Amino acid sequence: MLPSVDMDSIIESIPLYIRRNAKKLSEQPAFREKEFGVWQTWTWAEVDVHVTELALGLLSLDAKEGDYVAVIGRNRPHLYWAMMAVQMVGAVPVPLYQDAVAEEMKYVLEHCGARFVVADDQEQVDKVLEIKTSLPNLEHMIYVDGGGMRKYDHSKLHAYGVLQDAGRSASQKTRQELESRIDRLNYDSVCVMLYTSGTTGKPKGVVLSNRNIIISSINSCSFDNLNSSDEILSYLPLAWVGDFIFSFGQSVVGGLRINCPESRETVLADLREIGPSYYFAPPRIYESMLTSVVLRIEDTGRLKKWLYNYFMGHATMVGSAILDGKSVGAWARLKYGLGEFLIYAPLKNALGLSRVRVGYTAGEAIGPEIFDFFRSLGINLKQLYGQTEASVFVTVQPDGEVRSDTVGVPAPDVEIKIGDNGEVYYRSPGAFVEYYKNPKSTLEAKDADGWVATGDAGFIEDDTGHLRIIDRAKDVGKLSSGAMFAPKYVENKLKFFPNILEAVLFGANQEHCVAFINIDLNAVGNWAERNNIAYSSYQELSGHPKVLDMVQNHVETVNHSISEDAMLAGCQIHRFIVLHKELDADDGEMTRTRKVRRKIIGEKFDDLVAALYDGSTDVYTETEVTYEDGRKGKISATLEIRDAAFIQTPSAVAAE
Amino acid sequence: MKDTKESFVTEDGRHIGSVIMEMRNITLRFGGVVAITNASFDIREGEIRAIIGPNGAGKSSMLNVINGFYHPQEGEIWFRGKKRPSLRPYEIAEQGIARTFQNIALFKGMTTVENVMTGRQLMLKKNFLWQLLRIGPALDEEVVHRRRCEEIIDFLEIQAIRNSPVGSLPYGLQKRVELARALAMEPKLLLLDEPMAGMNVEEKEDMSRFILDVNDQYGTTIALIEHDMSVVMDLADRVVVLDYGKMLADGTPDEVQKNQAVIDAYLGVEH
Repeated sequence: MLPSVDMDSIIESIPLYIRRNAKKLSEQPAFREKEFGVWQTWTWAEVDVHVTELALGLLSLDAKEGDYVAVIGRNRPHLYWAMMAVQMVGAVPVPLYQDAVAEEMKYVLEHCGARFVVADDQEQVDKVLEIKTSLPNLEHMIYVDGGGMRKYDHSKLHAYGVLQDAGRSASQKTRQELESRIDRLNYDSVCVMLYTSGTTGKPKGVVLSNRNIIISSINSCSFDNLNSSDEILSYLPLAWVGDFIFSFGQSVVGGLRINCPESRETVLADLREIGPSYYFAPPRIYESMLTSVVLRIEDTGRLKKWLYNYFMGHATMVGSAILDGKSVGAWARLKYGLGEFLIYAPLKNALGLSRVRVGYTAGEAIGPEIFDFFRSLGINLKQLYGQTEASVFVTVQPDGEVRSDTVGVPAPDVEIKIGDNGEVYYRSPGAFVEYYKNPKSTLEAKDADGWVATGDAGFIEDDTGHLRIIDRAKDVGKLSSGAMFAPKYVENKLKFFPNILEAVLFGANQEHCVAFINIDLNAVGNWAERNNIAYSSYQELSGHPKVLDMVQNHVETVNHSISEDAMLAGCQIHRFIVLHKELDADDGEMTRTRKVRRKIIGEKFDDLVAALYDGSTDVYTETEVTYEDGRKGKISATLEIRDAAFIQTPSAVAAE
Repeated sequence: MKDTKESFVTEDGRHIGSVIMEMRNITLRFGGVVAITNASFDIREGEIRAIIGPNGAGKSSMLNVINGFYHPQEGEIWFRGKKRPSLRPYEIAEQGIARTFQNIALFKGMTTVENVMTGRQLMLKKNFLWQLLRIGPALDEEVVHRRRCEEIIDFLEIQAIRNSPVGSLPYGLQKRVELARALAMEPKLLLLDEPMAGMNVEEKEDMSRFILDVNDQYGTTIALIEHDMSVVMDLADRVVVLDYGKMLADGTPDEVQKNQAVIDAYLGVEH
């Protein structure tokens, strides 16, 4: 086993770390992937050989230092290796979101001028072929899985295995060339370029150096004492900085073991089989886990239901305290032990979280009940706050200081300050080099002293030093009354109800706030079944009067809770609509990481927004939708508009 | 499609071989009812051959004749250059002909992988007792066959339901499992009885892609019966049209679509 951070020699590039692992961890499993129903394993020594062959293969295609190589597909060892091989030859890997449609890929491929594309399978190859004519720089494509492509023109298309074979028979000269290229890499060479999901405008290519990735990985590994005995399941998009740090940086630097699922649909089953010790998931995944537990408990027998409720009640009271090592009475401990045996352990096992030593969530605010549920089971779930530009880490919650309403203290080596407008700034070794071909945006985001603007508004708690995030800085606006408008804050409160999947709040420069609501088909569908409410489609269910009643109830509860905070009382929702379609990234309404694009939604559904403000009781609308295969269709509906009760607060009155 | 006896390569690069199966003047009766009257057509190696027709046209009967389930009163069946004697279905399966059924015939209580493994039954060499003990050579043999089945499971993207009892699966997935089992037999000729029946658009598209991929990847000759005309026209190299047990037409999708008798049968004629 390695110490979590190997300080005896300073290694300045990922390829050299791979060489180190091949030497020091040679026989340790580095990667696993389930294929043909069996977990296949590769040791670090095998990975080194494999990646080197692939890199030599790339040289045979005349890959040059500084080339950009796009990598598209699901989490597979071969694609991680491709990124490593690209780094070896001195080129820059650019992972792309695999579910992006061809049009979206075109922008990124054009922008970085990729000469090579490494794609997972026919689906991805087809997308690139579709836009090939507008990509003059693109020369070669390499695919991992050749299914369905036997008849394709293979002059510029290469099977991964063939390229590897070419590498294996490379000449001595080519091998020397590769070694000298590896030697030329240092802290300042580019490690990876990641495109931001583009919550606003076009995606930007964030250039991260070896220094950024390696120091961030070393620091975060030592913060949580992660080492080569830890396992992770890699299932989040390759293009996302989190996966690049968790499944790539930390793995290479700290020797963590990567496990790749068999397919997208098998992730939960694979999670159970692997039982990772280090786990990351955005809040929605924890949320859907909790929803599925609650739904299944509803369907069990009375005894089991009683046991579950009894012990979960107990866990809610003492579970987090036990996890934090606080003093808890002997009797309560004993009861918790019994609960562990009867309920908690089997439940954790069913969720695949039995062995989780360190679990993280980030990206969005997590509902306090969801957060507490997992912690009370004894799972060390923590929050962190970060972004692509920071190589993930800005703040993290240390063990023992975990709360659902903060994002933690500055991560190791990270400095934080709050700007005059409430915006959070940081300076760290992980702070990005630049936005590719975009000096203007780089200047806007990062000043001469290295301070990077996060774009988020927040404040540091005086007593604890924890950072709290309110909203996107530019989204925090004002109502016409001058009161503060913080949409995300309200939307998150709404989303904490299992029945509500998404919410979009409008109100900037208006007298009061209105909202769009998306119901959660799983939760509401189940509820409908229980209550004998028949429906034939999402649209019908979302417009059902009883569903509207339920949502109205939730909205009013949220109004009540907001009214207690004098600063935000003006954000109470006066009127709302339950949308007839799910907001979808394919329709441009959300980013690929599932963040709502408020402005685009506001423009697309301007008729609905207008109706919410003009006092009408219903509105007819037609909406264009994009199907998975890229075709477009139209759906139309008449939506009922509801008024929600709100509380007149002194400050709101005073503001008027 | 060219009307030559020699093998050739299609525009999209597929290899179409010589005639693998030929039906000569087939007539099938059930008592006084004539299900098929004097039908003759052939199936060439590597092609996708469709048999279409309105309800009760005799499509399934024809598939059952090919499959050896029904024995025609008149006519001859030639398979791979030899006249086929009257065989039982399992003997025909041994010749390399596999099929799926219109109304799904899986073992509902068994899992997906168990069902697919039944497709390997004919290839198991060790006897029943060995298999019961599951040791030594029988186990080695099972590992080999399991690997083949897993490749098919991977190919048809049903890994996620590998261990689910098929009875609990949605209809579209059961159809896919049935296809997997037929493929596990590594057939030379694959018969599909309404593979898209009861599916939604997306499932139909998936199934179409799988059928094309099977044909492309494994070079399997496929004969399918289908109701959905648009599917047939996209998939098939050649189409036989039956109506009331009689052959109305035989040709490429384009030819068949323009055939007046076919149009009449499908759209009706003014009397």
